[in-house]
Amino acid sequence: MFTRFKRLSIALIFALAAAGGTLMAANAQDATPPAPIPQGSEQDCAACHADYQMSWQSGLHGQAGDDPVFLKAWEDQGKPGACLICHDTGYDPATGISEAKGVTCLACHSPAPDNHPANNMPVDKSTDLCGKCHSDSRFASDNWMMSAHYQRAMTCSVCHNPHSAGMKTVEGFATTEDASSLCQNCHKDAMDNFPSSKHAEAGVTCVNCHLGFNVGSADANVDFADAHKAPDHSFIPTLETCNKCHSTQMHAPGQSVAAAAIKIEEAGGTSTPEPTPVQVSTLPVTNEPTPVSPVGYAGLAGLVGLAAGMVLAPWLERFYHRVSKQHQHEEEHHE
Amino acid sequence: MIAKLRAKFPTTTPWITWLGALGLLLAIGLTCGILIFWRGLAITNLTDLVPWGLWITIDLSSIALSAGAFSLCAAVYLAGLKRYEPVARTATFIGLIGYSMAMLSLMLDIGRPDRFWHALVYWNTHSLLWEVTMCVCLYLIVLVLEAMPILAKLEWLRKRFPKITAKMEHVHHYAPYLAIAGLCLSMLHQSSLGAVYGVLKARPFWYKPEMAALFMFSALVGGISLTIFASMLSARLTPKARVNDTLLERVAHFVGWALVPYLYIRTWDWLAMTYTYQPGRSEGLDVMTKGPLSFNFWIVEILFGAIVPMILLLKQGTRQNRFWRMAALAMVVGGVIAYRWDINLGGFLVVVSYLPGEATVAYTSYFPSLVEIGAGLGVIAFGLMAFSLGVRYLKVVDHRYVAQEHETVKSEAPETVLA
Amino acid sequence: MSDANFSRRDFIKLTAVGAAAVAGTRLVKEARASSSSPAGEHQWAMVIDQSKCTGCNYCTLACQAHNDTAPENQWNVVSEAGEVGGHKTYIARPCMQCAKAPCVEVCMVGASYYRDDGIVMMDYDKCIGCRYCEAACPYQARVFNWEKFEGKNPAVPEWGSPEVERRPRGVPEKCSFCYHRIDRGLELGLIPGVDADATPACVGACPTGARMFGDLNDKNSLVSLVLKEHASYRLRDDLATGPRVYYLPADPKEMDTEVKS
Repeated sequence: MFTRFKRLSIALIFALAAAGGTLMAANAQDATPPAPIPQGSEQDCAACHADYQMSWQSGLHGQAGDDPVFLKAWEDQGKPGACLICHDTGYDPATGISEAKGVTCLACHSPAPDNHPANNMPVDKSTDLCGKCHSDSRFASDNWMMSAHYQRAMTCSVCHNPHSAGMKTVEGFATTEDASSLCQNCHKDAMDNFPSSKHAEAGVTCVNCHLGFNVGSADANVDFADAHKAPDHSFIPTLETCNKCHSTQMHAPGQSVAAAAIKIEEAGGTSTPEPTPVQVSTLPVTNEPTPVSPVGYAGLAGLVGLAAGMVLAPWLERFYHRVSKQHQHEEEHHE
Repeated sequence: MIAKLRAKFPTTTPWITWLGALGLLLAIGLTCGILIFWRGLAITNLTDLVPWGLWITIDLSSIALSAGAFSLCAAVYLAGLKRYEPVARTATFIGLIGYSMAMLSLMLDIGRPDRFWHALVYWNTHSLLWEVTMCVCLYLIVLVLEAMPILAKLEWLRKRFPKITAKMEHVHHYAPYLAIAGLCLSMLHQSSLGAVYGVLKARPFWYKPEMAALFMFSALVGGISLTIFASMLSARLTPKARVNDTLLERVAHFVGWALVPYLYIRTWDWLAMTYTYQPGRSEGLDVMTKGPLSFNFWIVEILFGAIVPMILLLKQGTRQNRFWRMAALAMVVGGVIAYRWDINLGGFLVVVSYLPGEATVAYTSYFPSLVEIGAGLGVIAFGLMAFSLGVRYLKVVDHRYVAQEHETVKSEAPETVLA
Repeated sequence: MSDANFSRRDFIKLTAVGAAAVAGTRLVKEARASSSSPAGEHQWAMVIDQSKCTGCNYCTLACQAHNDTAPENQWNVVSEAGEVGGHKTYIARPCMQCAKAPCVEVCMVGASYYRDDGIVMMDYDKCIGCRYCEAACPYQARVFNWEKFEGKNPAVPEWGSPEVERRPRGVPEKCSFCYHRIDRGLELGLIPGVDADATPACVGACPTGARMFGDLNDKNSLVSLVLKEHASYRLRDDLATGPRVYYLPADPKEMDTEVKS
């Protein structure tokens, strides 16, 4: 017959083994993947992609269908279907029916596959997809095809955030006063000399010459009040660009640039942001090793000295007595 | 002033004060430990460049200073030097404490303490740290078994569980087998701890084969020194501890001789690094000999850690003088700890760049944070308290002790002194 | 043992011992201190063209978004690498996915392991956070989670959305060549290195196309062709870790090219 102690210990061992076994089994399991979203519900995309939903809603793409300026202009013109080709998703001119109001996810990410999320939503990142709406002649986006960026196979989404329909922000790597800091992030070599130039001193930035923004204003909504107008994306400055500020100096030889009446002095430009350094890993390293702390050395040496003094004390005392006795003898002898 | 304190607290003995001080440190350590488990390692000063700091040093030093257990047990049970058995007994107890301290500081140091058991379940036979962990765990079992007869001396245990206590004492019968196991396991992991550093070719300051040998040698001298020193100190402080001074003097003589090859290899280790420039290694040497670690290296590790104790212990006059012997042994212990601190930081403080072209070297710095120091002190206080309790209640430092079975062997009960 | 006493039991014992001895010799043959990545059907490699890299850090941000890392834990690090022909050059350093990885050798629980396609994987469930791998890596490719990354990831959703779980506190992490994208892409029949959805996020994010990815076992893959035609180098080749990230050195002639409109 087992004693109570033995029974208890056996029970404890079994309990621990069971607990340990379940723990190990639990740890060994793979994480279950998320279940696919059932198709057909209104909240399809936002249910999983809430982040994208938020950034889309706050931007111009999200507001394309609801914008009051657009709606007023559209109604004033008699609600033409031509507008809805871009301002609605999947507008069919033949039937006059749109798949969805406004610019929705499906405007760019279609056709949706049956087994999403197992299968990816398609997206054409090339200029062609954006160009479906943004190649309207009023956008003057044929210029983009002339740019070196396009010719080196860059796409719109290199600089533009397609969801917020704004500029990309290089978080932690650049401050975004205006789009110029994005230009500087890639074109670091150009930043070698530009910040010390007279242009930079006067507050001119990249977007002023290469995109045609007025000096001092970085807001497209101000400069390009007509929403269908876009800055010249060829990035090639022309004579017109120079004339924006230097028109009074054309054919006026002998006048120094700084002294002449440049519009820019009245406009008051934004100063060129400092060239953004490449984010190297923030290792807390120095080029020299930390010097030996003199205080530490002195302190420890002091302790050693104290110990040595204590050890040598008896001999020192004897020596002192001997010397003083000798001295005394000498004094006595002299008297 | 002490008289005034004595008048105020008449019942407080030095023993109580000692326990009180240790208890305070333990409480601080416990608080810091809880903070670490709760807030994570972000509250330490460890960084991606210096991932191992004070706690690894405490861990390495605890394991090294527990080396007296395997060496003295091997001497007694395998080499047949039966007269050192009482010293081996003390060493075994210190070993048990030391390995527990190492386990504690490791629990603090790893990122996921709740998964510490993974090391025993998931194996990577290519990893030296795995080998160290396995050997340490197995050796801990060996130590527990070797310490059973010591723990069986506890009066409370003898009264409550006489049969179990008898079984525990019987384990002593297997001491030779345990000694063999202990010797093999210890030789494996003491040197592997050096090899843990020595196989990393990314760190030229460490990448050399003598790391394993140096760790082994320094553990040997350090472990035996700590055992003798602790025995002598306890005998000085309390009548519960009684030592045979001749015995200890002989072991100290051995330590003196053991320091010679250690100093020799260490000198060559340093000297060989001065020849030809190698990025990472030469800067590490500079940091150790001229930089922030230089005082630690030259004074604590070489001068007072090896040279002075070697002279003191080899000269008969100073070796026979109890004060100088204790001083020398304490210095050796300090030198062993300093050696591990120097090796660890010498490798980490120097950062070799991976960029192409000529390798550039940058320096980082490390000083333990308050939490690290607090937790470390707590671990040390645990060790001190365990040893103190052992001296008082388990008579771990008692050279009058002779095992029952050895009565059949011709060995006279030696003269003991209060030291 | 005389024949008369050689019983059936003895025969079985002898056979068992013999079998154990033979098995033992097999073990001895395998006893090598260091390990090496096994060769599988694919051998993924990455090529980074320093002539095209502008140091813009798009790769770092895409990685941060897709792998949900804290901003201070960069898996891909871009550093300045001097000037060539008057142009600044940069080095982007992901994990080298070494064929003889020091981190795999030293991991005491085997949480770092080789996949047969060359990727050095991390099993975060096994890891106990001892940081030996961090000490062993010559490229400082591993970052430790001193604390758990809570809160919003600033790179999301602009640079991508997270595709893997956040790591717990107390484990080191590193670039994984986006194995999750590769695996998923292969399942869907896509080609890693060609189809963006099957390729590491950093490769797709690069605006200049400086990063290339592909299968070295495929003679016609982009990386194989590029490495055949161009001179390339690897970081810390002297350590013989066998990295799978190749760099094309910056060519001043290429960096000077201007497109005439």
